[in-house]
Amino acid sequence: MDKLKLEILTPNGIVFSGEVISVTLPGKEGEFGVLAHHASLTTLLEAGVIDIEKEDKKTESVLINWGLVQVDETKVVVLVEGAVAIRGENESDIAKALDDAKALIDSIKDNNPAIATVSAKLESAAKSLM
Amino acid sequence: MANLKDIQRQIKSVSNTQKTTRAMKLVSTAKLRRAEELAKRSRLYAAKMNQVISEIAGRIKCSKVGGINNRCFNEIENPKIVDIIFVTADKGLCGGFNIQTIKAVKKLLSDYKAKNVKVRLRGIGKKGIEFFKYNGVELFDIAINLSSKPEKDKADDFILTSIEDFKDGNTDALYLVYNGYKNMITQELHINKILPVDLSQVECSDTQTSMLEIEDEDEEKMLDSVVDKYAQYAMYYALIDSVAAEHSARMQAMDTATNNAKDMVKSLNVKFNKARQAAITTELIEIISGVESMK
Repeated sequence: MDKLKLEILTPNGIVFSGEVISVTLPGKEGEFGVLAHHASLTTLLEAGVIDIEKEDKKTESVLINWGLVQVDETKVVVLVEGAVAIRGENESDIAKALDDAKALIDSIKDNNPAIATVSAKLESAAKSLM
Repeated sequence: MANLKDIQRQIKSVSNTQKTTRAMKLVSTAKLRRAEELAKRSRLYAAKMNQVISEIAGRIKCSKVGGINNRCFNEIENPKIVDIIFVTADKGLCGGFNIQTIKAVKKLLSDYKAKNVKVRLRGIGKKGIEFFKYNGVELFDIAINLSSKPEKDKADDFILTSIEDFKDGNTDALYLVYNGYKNMITQELHINKILPVDLSQVECSDTQTSMLEIEDEDEEKMLDSVVDKYAQYAMYYALIDSVAAEHSARMQAMDTATNNAKDMVKSLNVKFNKARQAAITTELIEIISGVESMK
């Protein structure tokens, strides 16, 4: 299966960089998944969770509060304002990441109905890791 | 002798100053490293952001589609009112760092005045603000403590008014003036035109090959939102770049000060020894001439 390169960049550094099989992004018009050889597009993302399927079939979730994504055939570059990756070696790390993520959700000002589903999604992502 | 004591006191005072300047240099070195790290981490984001903006700008300029009426991407001829944001340090003792920025702003002010353009000045950093206040130049808005401790949220809030005023048509251009970091020994003055997005650099040939595709339905909204983030990020980057430059300037200034103090102690020591020698010689002459007169 072909892979694509994914980069998630914030003003404070790189959150994710690496080869992935697929990535699901929370677009303004709804969620969309990207596989290799996707048609090019540039669009906005809203607050939500980016689901990443990595090479080793493991998944990873990254919470974002705003984003701009550029997709072309071989790579996906996501520019985000604030992001928290839900990952960690042990439960306490994951729990900490989850707390950070919740703080980020709270800081999102617009009361988008989508936000409510985001927290639920986060919890389940964190649970699957634990 | 009184003279000897004076010199001794001077030596002590200068070497104390030297200690202070050396400590300040060390502090700046440590802070510079942190600031550099911060700038390095966000460089990738900066590069990507600029690329996206210039691709969008190129698309608008070259193919004349979408967003052509967006104020942010069109050159405004004969601007009437211009927003200038300048960034200086909150503290002095950093050589010509602040004055360089101030001079650049002053030049812009007089240039615009000659063209009958109204300028709205917004200042960040105590030094620059104090200077303009002292000289009776009116500042539209000020922020202290932002340039020594850049925070994204505060930077965003600060520039947001400027962005909105521009979009609403209250201002015709937005400039950002700051002294940025080039390397350990040099700073570079930046006068960046943030809005409208500078199209002069865009060449049509390379953007035509780009695969940029913008979803049509959210074009206007997307452009607006991207421009916001672009300007806010430019502000933040200016702040962190300015902090790095400030510390490198201070490091240099304090290094020079330490060296000067060292030289001064050296020459004072020579002066002290000479005075001491002179005192001994006088005493000897007195003794000898006393002995001579007894003969």
